[in-house]
Amino acid sequence: MSNTILRIDHLTMQFGGVVAVDNFSMHIDEGEIVALIGPNGAGKTTAFNAVTGVYVPTSGAIKLMGENITGKRPDQITKLGIARTFQNIRLFSSMTVFENVLTAHHLRRTSNVFTATLRLNAAEEHQMRADTDALLKKVDLYDLKDEIATSLPYGRQRLLEIVRALATKPKLLLLDEPAAGMNPQETDELGAFIRRIRDEFDLTIFIIEHHMNLVMEISDRIYVIEFGKQIAEGTPNEIQNNEAVIAAYLGGDDL
Amino acid sequence: MSNTVKKKGLSREQVLSAIVVLAFYIAVFVAEQIVPSTSMLFTVLKKGATYALVAVSMNLLNGFTGIFSLGQAGFMLIGAYVYAIFTIPIAERASVYQYYNGGIVQVALPIFIAMILAGLVAAFFAFLIGLPVLRLKSDYLAVATLGFAEIIRAVFQWDKLGPVTNGSNMLRLFPTFNDFNIRNANGDVTIYLSTLVPMLIAGFCIALIILLINSTFGRALRAIKDDEIAAEAMGIHLASHKQLAFCISSFFTGIGGAMLAMYQTTVQAKSFTTAMTYEILLIVVIGGIGSVTGSCISSFLFVACSEWWLRFLDQKQMIGSFEVPLLRNGFRLVVFSLIIMIVVLFFRQGIMGTRELPDLFRRKRKKTGKEARA
Repeated sequence: MSNTILRIDHLTMQFGGVVAVDNFSMHIDEGEIVALIGPNGAGKTTAFNAVTGVYVPTSGAIKLMGENITGKRPDQITKLGIARTFQNIRLFSSMTVFENVLTAHHLRRTSNVFTATLRLNAAEEHQMRADTDALLKKVDLYDLKDEIATSLPYGRQRLLEIVRALATKPKLLLLDEPAAGMNPQETDELGAFIRRIRDEFDLTIFIIEHHMNLVMEISDRIYVIEFGKQIAEGTPNEIQNNEAVIAAYLGGDDL
Repeated sequence: MSNTVKKKGLSREQVLSAIVVLAFYIAVFVAEQIVPSTSMLFTVLKKGATYALVAVSMNLLNGFTGIFSLGQAGFMLIGAYVYAIFTIPIAERASVYQYYNGGIVQVALPIFIAMILAGLVAAFFAFLIGLPVLRLKSDYLAVATLGFAEIIRAVFQWDKLGPVTNGSNMLRLFPTFNDFNIRNANGDVTIYLSTLVPMLIAGFCIALIILLINSTFGRALRAIKDDEIAAEAMGIHLASHKQLAFCISSFFTGIGGAMLAMYQTTVQAKSFTTAMTYEILLIVVIGGIGSVTGSCISSFLFVACSEWWLRFLDQKQMIGSFEVPLLRNGFRLVVFSLIIMIVVLFFRQGIMGTRELPDLFRRKRKKTGKEARA
């Protein structure tokens, strides 16, 4: 099982004079849960945005299962199999839980605007709705399906965002601080949930997270960056004992 | 939440809504046969239907896709001109285009084909200007589309285009709503349809828009309105979906323009001013941004107020021997403006908010809206 799903080669992201990500390379193999950690402002989310096409890299290449996706649009990248969630929740606020997930099925439509308007795609629409129901049942959100998404409790909104990303049927799921704002119990549940979806949906997961307990518990490997540069890579155990990492988090030599 | 059982077929609310709409159409048909055709009622219904279609098209952009476009008058102008140019009977062209040797267009298409053509040409213009303009955000987009409408208005009056557009002169003598009336051999009207048919046309177009809004494409458009970044991350191509919404909206606005031409019986570019766009915008806001039903209801109310119900304010009124003060020519507009201000102040969400007709028949749920009137 060492099929490489995602490979980042010498990625550099520069905004004017600021180098947010500096010559960063990494890879994720199929079925892995890999975490990207680092102090605030280290360039983690920037790296995510480069992978998902929100930013076009200044230099470097990003490959999904061998295919170069550098410079593609976010929607194209999603269609190729990368789904993501956001650091600050971005649900469709006027829609119900059900509609939020249903919308994620739009990218696999075979209908065009005429056939969809004239309801010639009834079978497909029916299938989309059935799939949405099935997915919501699987993750215990079915009872809330007619609620407006943004009226859910915070933890549920985070969960829904992950489910919506799952509905695009990704191969690689990017989670940007999924535990932000969660209490310890919710964080534990989230860890179990991430493992569960990895197994049930044959996913590979790339996660940015600040909760170290969660990261150490679920990750197979961890990359650590500081000021856009990679300072360490390894298993949770290796990272916990890595001096460069401890220095980066606690302030280094002069302490 | 008792009505979650059957999903196939129509729900109780949808059936009731259909009955209400059908009853409305029947009432219009009956009224048209009994009430004298000169009644203001029909003026209001005809213009109201026209404005309702344009308002719903605008709502599709502003309320459902989150694209704040102010080009409505321009697209209506295109629709009105295309319709007029291609339906003036060939025999009449010499008199209409008297300064341009009868013009260069020498075809007269059937009414409905000309209407569809009007929509298609408007959509084509939307496609062209959409390419650069839809990259802009909110207010910049509004200003750009507003500018487009102004330019179109000037271009259509350009003397060099006279053989096609008749320059700044009027286009007239094309088929109007009255041509929908069925006449006997003597030319007397046997069945009046001059109000019902435009209402059916508008109703048909609005029904198509509703179907679009409730399709997978409609959901994608709403997703774009709610959160562009998330929509893109869900695999929705922003540029093509915005372009799609813009063209479809303009298509129906163009048909609305053709209907306006038929309503007015003449077309002149200089009447398609920015003020017309603002009227439509006002209708959308009063009806509720994001509610098709709201746009329809408010367009009839708006037209009725501006053309009919407040007319008495423009004339001297006597109660016995007492002359009511303030009433004089133009006072109607003062009252009208006040009403609009009150509506905007106290009904922030518009008459309907984002609710639709079927929502009104839904049994009371947890939260009850305060303004539960339609």
